[in-house]
Amino acid sequence: MDMRDLVTGGAACAVPGSSSSSNPLAALANTLIGSSSKIQENKEIPTSITPSSERQIYAESNDHLGALDQPFVDPNGPQHSDFLRGFHGSGGGGGQTELDAAWNDIHPPPQLDHIYDTHPHPQQPILDGPPQRMLSSLLHSFVDSSRGGVPFRATPLPVLGLSEGDKQCIRDRSSIMARHIFADKSEDFINAQVNALLCSLDIDGDARAKGPLPGRFRELDDYWNESQGTLKPGFHAADGWVAEFNQQRMVPGANGWASEFEQQHGANGWASEFEQSQLTSVDQMRGSNISSLAAMEQTRMLANTLAQNDDPKFQNSKFLQFVSKMSRGELIIDDNQVKQTALPAAGDWASEYQNQYNRSPAWADEFLSHGPDQWVNEFTTEREQHGPVDDQWVNEFSKLHVHDWADEFGRQVGEGALGENSTDNWANAYDEFLNEQVAARQRSDTSRGVYVFSDMNPYVGHPNPLKEGQELFRKGLLSEAVLALEAEVLKNPDNAEGWRLLGIAHAENDDDQQAIAAMLRAQEADSTNLEVLLALGVSHTNELEQAAALKYLYGWLRHHPKYGTLAPPELSDSLYYADVARLFNEAAQMSPDDADVHIVLGVLYNLTREYDKAIESFQTALKLKPHDYSLWNKLGATQANSVHSADAIFAYQQALDLKPNYVRAWANMGISYANQGMYEDSIRYYVRALAMNPKADNAWQYLRISLSCASRDDMLEACDSRNLDVLQKEFPL
Amino acid sequence: MPVFKTPFNGYSVKFSPFYESRLAVGTAQNFGILGNGRVHILDLPPTPSSPFVEVASFDTADGVYDVAWSESHDSLLVAALADGSLKIYDLSLPPTSNPIRSLQEHSREVQSVDYNPVRRDSFVSSSWDDSIKLWTLDRPASIRSFQEHAYCVYAAVWNPRHADVFASASGDCTLRVWDVREPGSTMVVAAHEFEILSCDWNKYDDCVIATASVDKSVRVWDIRTYRTPLAVLNGHGYAARKVKFSPHNRSFLVSCSYDMTVCAWDYMVEDARIGQYGHHTEFAVGLDMSVLVEGLIASTGWDELVYVWQYGTDPRAP
Repeated sequence: MDMRDLVTGGAACAVPGSSSSSNPLAALANTLIGSSSKIQENKEIPTSITPSSERQIYAESNDHLGALDQPFVDPNGPQHSDFLRGFHGSGGGGGQTELDAAWNDIHPPPQLDHIYDTHPHPQQPILDGPPQRMLSSLLHSFVDSSRGGVPFRATPLPVLGLSEGDKQCIRDRSSIMARHIFADKSEDFINAQVNALLCSLDIDGDARAKGPLPGRFRELDDYWNESQGTLKPGFHAADGWVAEFNQQRMVPGANGWASEFEQQHGANGWASEFEQSQLTSVDQMRGSNISSLAAMEQTRMLANTLAQNDDPKFQNSKFLQFVSKMSRGELIIDDNQVKQTALPAAGDWASEYQNQYNRSPAWADEFLSHGPDQWVNEFTTEREQHGPVDDQWVNEFSKLHVHDWADEFGRQVGEGALGENSTDNWANAYDEFLNEQVAARQRSDTSRGVYVFSDMNPYVGHPNPLKEGQELFRKGLLSEAVLALEAEVLKNPDNAEGWRLLGIAHAENDDDQQAIAAMLRAQEADSTNLEVLLALGVSHTNELEQAAALKYLYGWLRHHPKYGTLAPPELSDSLYYADVARLFNEAAQMSPDDADVHIVLGVLYNLTREYDKAIESFQTALKLKPHDYSLWNKLGATQANSVHSADAIFAYQQALDLKPNYVRAWANMGISYANQGMYEDSIRYYVRALAMNPKADNAWQYLRISLSCASRDDMLEACDSRNLDVLQKEFPL
Repeated sequence: MPVFKTPFNGYSVKFSPFYESRLAVGTAQNFGILGNGRVHILDLPPTPSSPFVEVASFDTADGVYDVAWSESHDSLLVAALADGSLKIYDLSLPPTSNPIRSLQEHSREVQSVDYNPVRRDSFVSSSWDDSIKLWTLDRPASIRSFQEHAYCVYAAVWNPRHADVFASASGDCTLRVWDVREPGSTMVVAAHEFEILSCDWNKYDDCVIATASVDKSVRVWDIRTYRTPLAVLNGHGYAARKVKFSPHNRSFLVSCSYDMTVCAWDYMVEDARIGQYGHHTEFAVGLDMSVLVEGLIASTGWDELVYVWQYGTDPRAP
């Protein structure tokens, strides 16, 4: 993902300037750090003589040092508004060079950059003051978290009063560096990581991150800015900055929009477009519980990674101490609430869930009519809380916790109940929370790739759970179908069809980890099942695991009765994307009427982000298989990834016409509308998706974001309390 | 060997090509995320037990991501700054007269600067603005901009033999080879599937180049057969940040990494990793090998320490 674009695009930074800050720390910080703000405004560009021919100049240039002693009357900064600033701000030693003097004769001298240390303003306190230390600590912990050692915790308070330029620096650099130091983490993780840092410093990540990012296509930039400007009051104030910044910014260009979008939306690929938009939008929700939620979420992920590196050097890094120092010194959080929320009693959630359940007769009825009794749901709940053995499960689990915590915290803030003397307690509670998370992670590490069964399953003992599962799946009751199918594969562990359908149910339920685990079991049971191989290929594509995806897609070809001859078995040892793509193209030529080949081709092109080709392949497949709802969803997701959100909506609509219970498509539809700035519409789709599956936590978050963007703050409470009745009444589809 | 403590986080260390005991170190406050920078000029003491001698230091308004000694004048060096500028310092002048030049054309952080070792009159800088720029000391503006990379360019390094050829490593996952006489890059190698953070030419074979990537590996390439690497050197636990070929040994190279270690490799043997140094306690990001003293290695990192040691000895040995 292009972190740089993600973080640098936005300008609606709401941080109050120094003068408006009532925070004494912030004021102090301003005197300290504000002096480092870069002079960005100087637009005066000296007229210059551009070298007539670059090559010629290069040849003429000689090793003539005498020139060094002469002032440049021709500074020749043809394209850079920052030229002056560099010229004058460069004086590390502070001395005025002849050059400066000569230049100043012609132009009024711009303000000089101050150096923190060398030329302290008389009134400047030493740099060791609290704001600087706080900033250092924050950055330390951010960097430290990279090594999987220590969680980086967003600290919503207080404001350091950083200048716009400083913020820009932090935003850009931390994003780019994060990609290096988090080498093997997912893009989501990196996003969350950077977002947490930016949240802490009260820096806007990127107000525009939800939509297409500005690229080389300047006219689209403008369009986007315009549309955002009307949607988000206050955005205009910063437009100047945006424009200036855009001018300076270089954009990843080779693949244009598509690659940019892909870079932004990164690791999860097209099928979970869903999750990215949540992450990239997270900063907009600063001040609401979403940001805290994101922070806690990434804290959890970090805590998880802690267990992965047992190198004592990492664990003993001095960053660790910085982190704890930070958490004790600067954080202000009420202890009791944290404690409760960090380790919520299992019953709380269950009862809350029960509440929801009772208050939402619409879906409850539907649920009841098809599923077993209420207690099943409670079991599901319990299971999720006690069996976080897989990444995804942990994920879901923690989101629940976090949400409670975030709500609680939000309330506390609202009531002004935060005390300053409770940080030690908070730190303790936090440590406990971490330990808990680490323990959970250790449990999960041992069982990666292993299918995790529900603790209790009402379908165990069912005479024909497979049939029941198929029926439930057909009705779109995915969670129930999962239970029934689990019962089936417990009974017949070698039933490839049971495992396969289980995997698909998980995939449609947005749980690719479990899906892969189930599909792997299906493959064990029947190593040549084409559907299984294809599903595994797709799931790995979603996770952007190219090698694994290629392996399974190639396996699909090799075991296919028709195309098996195309695929020499010896190739499977060293698979290159180009080879596999070529083979499938051959297969497509061999039988242009086989929709499956085109589907695989579409998936392959998604791997390399050739979205136009992918769209073409899916469209070809759809001509042959117009009733494949998941194919329509694939097409939609691919179109959305290549910034054709309007087309995507049509594709999703097709999928929904074919399968009205396709929750993922409903939610994807909402995302596409949100991406186009049609927040009211997106809300309706999210609400519909949630009415069908209130456990879709991601959708709740998207809903909240859309509500905020549509200025429907009046409905936020209903969203936070998950009151579907109210929401459905307000936003009928 | 002695250790030097820098006030800021170390980013780059370079041996002087003129004095065997002299080093330049580029540092940045707050890991280069925000704050000042400083360039330190250090001399190795005559006896290993005494401390480094700091010959000079220059403060900068933003972090110093890289430094490069002039190949033509023993007192000149170039610093690459996070604010997008290049500063040229002359050690023979008093600190108040420095920097003698400030070249502000890059719109984003400059991550690398490399002095042409053959022509000795020019240097290239690579920046997060996706461009590479060619400069000479006697011109106030860049001679040329090379704009093909689609993402940050983390390194641009001159070929040790051919005066007009250099290679660049970018976050767009490609390695490019350029000839300044040509309008565009002459070769694009999709060297890694993740960002490439560094590259360096073999000093004995002008077609061999090493790349270091976020994928944790160091790869050695022959640009005549660039489809597959000559060697893939695995062993770093996190992204490999910098790679450097030995000036004295055809198959010897060193790399440093976000796993906090410095590794020594012989890419021509089966067990390529022939040494690993865990002396840094934070990310190791700066690395150089002396041209004048065989086997002398310098490293710096975010633990704010500069180490110089002889290959085969413990960097921390007094």
